[in-house]
Amino acid sequence: MAQRAVWLISHEPGTPLGGTVRFSRRYPTVEKRAKVFNGTSYVPIPEDGPFLKSLLFELRLLDEDRDFMESRDSCSRINKTSVYGLKVGGEELWPVVAFLKNGIVYACVPLVEQTLSPRPALISISAISQGFELLFGIQDFLYSSQKIDTELNTKLSQLPDLLLQACPFGTLLDANLQNSLDSISFASVTHPQKQPAWKAGTYKGKPQVSIAITEKVKSMQYDKQDIADTWQVVGTVTCKVPVPPILGFYQMKEEEVQLKITVNLKLHESVKNNFKFCEAHIPFYNRGPITHVEYKVSFGQLEVFREKSLLIWIIGQKFPKSMEISLSGTVTFGAKSHEKQPFDHICIGGTAYLKLHFRILDYTLTGCYADQHSVQVFASGKPKISTHRKLISSDYYIWNSKAPAPVTYGSLLLWTHCDAFDFV
Amino acid sequence: MGLLSREAWAQRLGAFRASPSAYMAAPEGEDLGRDLLSDLRSEKLSEQTKVSMLALSLEYPAQLWPDAPAAEAAATSLLDTLVLLPPRPSALRRPLLLAATTALVTGGVLGPTSGASLRLLPLLLGLASGGDLGRGFGPSSEQRPLQATACECLRELESCKPGLLGGCLGLLRGLLGQEGPVAPVQPLSLLLALALRNTLVIQARARASLQGLLTVRAPPPGGGPWNWTLAQEGDAHLQPQAPSWPAAEEECGLSALEPSPEEARELRAAVAQLLDTSYLLTPVAQAQLLWLLGWALRGLRGQPPVLFKPQLVRLLGTAQLALLHAVLALKAAFGEALFTAQDEALLLRRLTLAAQHPALPLPAHLFYLHCLLSFPENCPLGPAGEEAAPLLLEPQLCRGLLPNLLHDPLALLARLHLLCLLCAEDEQKEEKGQAQSPCHYLQELLAGLQQRAALTGGPRALATLCFQASYLVALCLAGHRTVLAPLTHGLAQLYRARPALAPHFVDLLDRVAPELGEPLRVVLRQEVVSRPGGGEALRWHLQMLAKVADRDAQSATLGFLQAAAAHCTDWGLQQALLRVCRALLRVGVGGGLADLLQALARQLEDPDGRDHARLYYVLLSHLSGPKLGVALGPSLAAPALTSSLVAENQGFATALMVQEAPAPIRLSVGPQRAEGPVPVLQLQVEVLEPVYSLELRFRVEGQLYAPLGAVHVPCLCPGRPARPLLLPLQPQRPAPAQLDIRALYTKSTGLTCYTHLPPLPVKFADLFLPFPKPPEGARLGFFEELWDSCLPKGTESRLWCPLGPQGLEALVSRHLEPFVVVARPPTSYHIAIRLPPDSKLLLRLEAAQADGVPVVLRTDAWAVLPLVGDYLRGLSAAV
Repeated sequence: MAQRAVWLISHEPGTPLGGTVRFSRRYPTVEKRAKVFNGTSYVPIPEDGPFLKSLLFELRLLDEDRDFMESRDSCSRINKTSVYGLKVGGEELWPVVAFLKNGIVYACVPLVEQTLSPRPALISISAISQGFELLFGIQDFLYSSQKIDTELNTKLSQLPDLLLQACPFGTLLDANLQNSLDSISFASVTHPQKQPAWKAGTYKGKPQVSIAITEKVKSMQYDKQDIADTWQVVGTVTCKVPVPPILGFYQMKEEEVQLKITVNLKLHESVKNNFKFCEAHIPFYNRGPITHVEYKVSFGQLEVFREKSLLIWIIGQKFPKSMEISLSGTVTFGAKSHEKQPFDHICIGGTAYLKLHFRILDYTLTGCYADQHSVQVFASGKPKISTHRKLISSDYYIWNSKAPAPVTYGSLLLWTHCDAFDFV
Repeated sequence: MGLLSREAWAQRLGAFRASPSAYMAAPEGEDLGRDLLSDLRSEKLSEQTKVSMLALSLEYPAQLWPDAPAAEAAATSLLDTLVLLPPRPSALRRPLLLAATTALVTGGVLGPTSGASLRLLPLLLGLASGGDLGRGFGPSSEQRPLQATACECLRELESCKPGLLGGCLGLLRGLLGQEGPVAPVQPLSLLLALALRNTLVIQARARASLQGLLTVRAPPPGGGPWNWTLAQEGDAHLQPQAPSWPAAEEECGLSALEPSPEEARELRAAVAQLLDTSYLLTPVAQAQLLWLLGWALRGLRGQPPVLFKPQLVRLLGTAQLALLHAVLALKAAFGEALFTAQDEALLLRRLTLAAQHPALPLPAHLFYLHCLLSFPENCPLGPAGEEAAPLLLEPQLCRGLLPNLLHDPLALLARLHLLCLLCAEDEQKEEKGQAQSPCHYLQELLAGLQQRAALTGGPRALATLCFQASYLVALCLAGHRTVLAPLTHGLAQLYRARPALAPHFVDLLDRVAPELGEPLRVVLRQEVVSRPGGGEALRWHLQMLAKVADRDAQSATLGFLQAAAAHCTDWGLQQALLRVCRALLRVGVGGGLADLLQALARQLEDPDGRDHARLYYVLLSHLSGPKLGVALGPSLAAPALTSSLVAENQGFATALMVQEAPAPIRLSVGPQRAEGPVPVLQLQVEVLEPVYSLELRFRVEGQLYAPLGAVHVPCLCPGRPARPLLLPLQPQRPAPAQLDIRALYTKSTGLTCYTHLPPLPVKFADLFLPFPKPPEGARLGFFEELWDSCLPKGTESRLWCPLGPQGLEALVSRHLEPFVVVARPPTSYHIAIRLPPDSKLLLRLEAAQADGVPVVLRTDAWAVLPLVGDYLRGLSAAV
């Protein structure tokens, strides 16, 4: 259930090594057990340099993508989880849990308490999920507040002390590193306090309970007979309203040197017409910069980002009384230059989408809410209780109906046929 | 080295971390361990610096103190430093305890003979018990964190030396059961659970009982000596765990343990106690506790897993990755005994949803998907260890888990695997052919992947993904024509659109089974040869064709190559062209290829290319098909892009040139023939492996015999009796000789080998030939005539020929029968022998006695007299 080592590596494309080890921690007592448990299949933990090189190669994060390389590109090298085998010094180090998030590669090597040949199934290794929890915990800690580089450095510098608390011998005690941060300053507290049983240190700060309900709504709209539109609300409870909040269509046609576009959006009458913001992003991929736009909008305003080949239709806080708005126009492009304009591997030819970004506060599609007067807390002291709810768009796509579009399978059925996954 | 400043230490630690091995190899590495220990007591360094130093010792103890005495000394020094700390709050106590523990474990010194161990263990147990340790252990505010740390240290020691705390189970249970917030629940729970599990395993292996270990509340910390009994039994048992998955009661061996009813009750109470307070633990710690208790109770008699039931109500709904994983471990361990079919369905549904929940990160999705396909079912149908869709997983439930192009490659492949499994099931049920069927969806997805991979200038990762998906589909759905046919077609279109992906196609063809590989090969060949033969993509077409060309569609292939030859202006293209020719040579394409090679040998600009073409032409016109196949086979140094004629010739050299090899052939001389005009040696031949086209060449030193002809045998197989080989000899003089023998043969691999066989002797008697036999009545006269003719040119001699027990008659019939002219058995024989080329030897054996016979001999060849003497004297021994 323990980890043999853990690393944080910043991914730096374009540099000679492709990245830097920002933090690493080895657990020699666990390594001692690994040697016994793995027997002849034991592969020692490499030093940081070779590990970095091998990991970035395996994750395809090195820049050498040009030629076919069998050790990387062969069709039979199929990975279906974030667990890898790394070639290190002629041997293969396995299992290595690793993933890239926000430019940082998080990696650890879980202890396997048996021989590695044949390889046991991941599900049978207790330390795998513990490794994930550790890495997710570190990630949450690094990005628990606004992402600013200096703050990231501060947090990275706190990690050795934090892991000394949360994972002193490689066995994770608490995936919430913030708890450990709180307990590091134990020395200044002089009188004993009541505290959670698992926490060695004491908690400073005001007791507070905050309940937030956030619903995310995803949608794929095609405006086609043979493809069913899909939508998904995820939050805490059952979905009951079988319509997306905004319905629409997008038509785009290539006419000689220019594109002709038509967009129509309609807000469903049951949805609260009071947005924090609402925008439709219309990107044009694999083309040159926009040189000329002629357009007509029935509502809101259109911003043109010529170099990025992007139109943003700012709809604002409210839809008009009719609840229906439209945009039509023609767009002309200059010559393509690969460095500046966006490349996309789905939007080829006529395949194109517009993506809606919106947020509605104090509202959920499902009607779900938390009553702050009904929340009971069984603890000493009176915590302050607050509740929030909001609806956020998430992957809300409307595809050009005049060309092929990637089809996602009918998740609508899934979400109406089974009750929701109450995620605590 | 003297006392270092904070900066110096920071620099030193940084340099060490950059490359520990390089640092320790350098001279400054030598003193690092010692300096670290002494500077920990320095009053000039800040606590923060010392914590950093201790952190280093936690990670690299084996580098700092590489052997057992050094580790023991280090642990002692760390404990001394701990005791000497002033009684005020300090951030050092905790890391010092951790460092001493680490040093003892990694140094391999933990044991009853280690002074540091005997100090550390009572100290840790005392701290864990919350006892007052007096001076040096700081203010009371630090007691609680130190208590937790002590528990962690004990847990690590128990992990590395199972059974160490076997004697403290009762004590730990007591501590955990104390009222009020005295003891930290989590560290104690985990420590107790681990010690309990290890004790059960050790006692079961030793076939011992629990001996009241669960109830004894002794020993008092710091009092009596530490109980090492169990740890020493356990020491031999820190060995790979029995596979924890799937549950196999025999494997973990706990069934050997037969607790008494009272022990069983105590055990249940201990487990229940741990489970009851488990909700107070962090999720990851709860997961550890469940794994430990699951291991502890699996297969133990009289311990129904129903103890876990109250926890399941809470745990089945968990959204914590580690906790859900632990529940699956319980499911694998206890199956139906703990989980109903409804529980199973619920778990499956939760996994299905967790595998796509937008609030969870991608690695968690993928792990849940893996759990879903490796789900420990109550009643599994398929073979163990293979990923499969669980029986209770309804296809409807999986719809949200189907792959689409917007997914990350890992997620796409994982979901694609599920989709393939669904397709396999779907096809088994009934061919629906609807737009809604998984197979239809799969085809659309593959088409999308192909379209994306076809994008010129797109990243290679997208192409790789498309080929990985194709490979996965071919693997999972090998027998499904309805899927493979459109896949083949789609891949052909992809090649048409982006021939630069040829290396990926070659790789795919190398790895897929013939179900996809064969039809794909055919369409790709058609795709290539139907083109005009020029253009930018020519090098890819040639690479592709080298892989897919075969005897079919020869004329189209050759036509393409002829057209392409005009465009092969640089060395690289010419080599690629010749590689296709080589591939065609290998599969045995003849006629038209010879013309093409001749044309290339004239037409190519590059001399290397021309030489190559000529070489291939020579090979084609001189070698038989199978031999050519071997000569150009893939086992030889396959020509890389930079190959040249020289390099390739080295390859041919091995295949076409004769190689010296140890002989798989054994030759021996068979019985004498003694007939015909010349002496003929009968050779017996045996082989150890099949040998073809064997040619045996013989030679005799000097000019004793006329040059010998070679013997040819088309084929010899081991174990199959071979006819004797006949070797006619043409002696120039009647003398024995040594035959020097060389063999040339072809092995079944097609290689031609040469070997020198051990020499064979041609004995004097091997040269004997009989005279033509005269009619019965004229024999004596014939002999006398010969006898008289020897003199005066020849010579006469008398010898004594000893006889063995069988007597003269047996000797003659065995050795001289063919040459007897006049016989008066048992005492008198007249023998006439022809010695080629033109000599004779005449023997009179008369008046034999019991132990020998006097022999009168005449010959016209003086030189043979000593040979005859040796021969006759050797006869009796040879009987």
